[in-house]
Amino acid sequence: MPHEKTASTGEQGDGGQSLAGFGRYAGPATLILSSLADGTKHGYALTKDIESFAGVRISPGTLYEALARLESQGMIAAVESDDRRRPYRLTAAGAAALRAHLDAQRRVADVGLRRLAGNWGTA
Amino acid sequence: MNPAADRAARLLRWYPAAWRARYGEEFTELLIADISEQPRSAARTRDVVRGAIVARLAEAGLAGPPVRATAAAPDAGGLQIRASLVSLGCAAAVFGGFGAALWSQLTIGWQWSASASTTATVATVVTSATMLAFLALAVVAALPVLCAIAVTIARQRRKRHVVPAIVLIAATTVLFAGGRHFGNGWPGTGGHRGLVPAGLAAFEWATSLSVNAYWVHPRALAAFPGPELAWMAVSPLALACAVIAAATLVRRTELPPRLLAFEARLATAACAAMAVFLAGCSCWVATGGQRSVFHAGLIDVAGVAIMALALAVARQAACTARLRLGFAGH
Repeated sequence: MPHEKTASTGEQGDGGQSLAGFGRYAGPATLILSSLADGTKHGYALTKDIESFAGVRISPGTLYEALARLESQGMIAAVESDDRRRPYRLTAAGAAALRAHLDAQRRVADVGLRRLAGNWGTA
Repeated sequence: MNPAADRAARLLRWYPAAWRARYGEEFTELLIADISEQPRSAARTRDVVRGAIVARLAEAGLAGPPVRATAAAPDAGGLQIRASLVSLGCAAAVFGGFGAALWSQLTIGWQWSASASTTATVATVVTSATMLAFLALAVVAALPVLCAIAVTIARQRRKRHVVPAIVLIAATTVLFAGGRHFGNGWPGTGGHRGLVPAGLAAFEWATSLSVNAYWVHPRALAAFPGPELAWMAVSPLALACAVIAAATLVRRTELPPRLLAFEARLATAACAAMAVFLAGCSCWVATGGQRSVFHAGLIDVAGVAIMALALAVARQAACTARLRLGFAGH
C-alpha cells in the first residue's frame, strides 16, 4: 500500500513528477521503476529481473545513470543495508510517475492496436 | 584481487570522486558480476565511459537533472546550481582572457589610425561596447557573491574558506599590480584616437600580454625584456589561481536562493554579451583585417575558436542553472 508507506516515511506523493524529462533514460527508468514496483532490489537483481520480464539487458553504466537520476528526483530511495550491494525501493512519487507513464503508454498502445485491427485485421 | 575485481576497479576510476563515494561499492559489485558473466565486452566499456563522462559533466553543472534536496543533503539543489555558476564563471574567465587580447589589438589600432575598413570599424565599436558591458556584468555578479563569502568567513573563520580567499586576494593583486605596471608599455600610448579610456585599454593589453604568437617564435620571444617575459609567464598563472580560488570559494559557500536566481539572470545577459562580442571578433578575423595595425593573424583565429568553445560551455552552464532554479522554484 504505497500511500500507507508514504505516511509512515514522510514522503510526498508528488503527482507532478513525471518521466518526461528523462529523455533517453525514460526507457531504462520505466524498466527500473516497474521492477521496483514488485519490491526492493539491488543493481544485479534489477538487471536480472528486467532481463526476465522485458528481455532487455541494461548495461551497468546505463543502469546507474538511470538509478542516480531517479534517486535525485526522489522517485526511488536507497534502503539501509550492511551488504555492499545496496537495495533500492520505489517511493510514492516514483509510483505516481510510473503509473502516469504506463497509463499514457497504454493509451498509445490501445489506439495503435485498434487502428491495426480496423485496417489490417487481427493477427 | 581477482581479475574481474581488478577490471571493475579500473572502470570505476573513470567516475568522479563524489560519484564513487556514493555509488562506488555497489557499482563495483555489479561490474564484477557482469564481468564474470561476460569477461570481454567492448560495449560495456563504452557504456561505463559514457556514463562516467555524463557523471563528470553533471558534477561540473553542465548536464543532468535537478537534484531534489533530501534530509541527508538539504543543500543538494543549491550545490548543483553553484556548480553550474562556477563552470560559467570559469568559461567566462577564459572568454574574457582571449577576448581582452583580441580587443586590445583593435583598440591599439584605433589609437594610431582611423580604419579604412568598415568591418574593422564595426568590429572595434561592437567589441568595445560589449567588452564594457561584459566587465560591468562581471562586477555586478561578483560583488554580492564576494559579500556573501566575506560574511561567511567573518562568521565561521574556517580554513576551507580562508585559504582560497587569501589565494584569490593575492592572485588578483598580482594581476592588478602587474597590469597597471606593464600597461605603461602599451603600444597605444601616444596615439590620439581613443575609443575607450586609454588606461583601461592599456590594462587589458597588459593582462592579456601572454596571449601572443611569439610562443611559437622563440627567437622573437627572447628579444623581449626579461621583466615582460616573466610577466607573460606569471600573468596566466595568476589568472588561473584567481579563477580556481574563486571557484573553490563559491562551491564551498552556501548562497541564498535569491542570489543564485540573480546570478543566473546575469549569466544569461553575460552569454548574450559574449555572443555579440564573438560575432564582432569573427567578422574582423574572417575578413583578415587589413595589412596594417588592424591585421588579424592565426593567433586571433585560435582565440576566436577558444572563445566560441568557452561561450558554448557558458551557455550550457547557464541553461542547466536555469533548469535547476526552475525545479527548485526560486
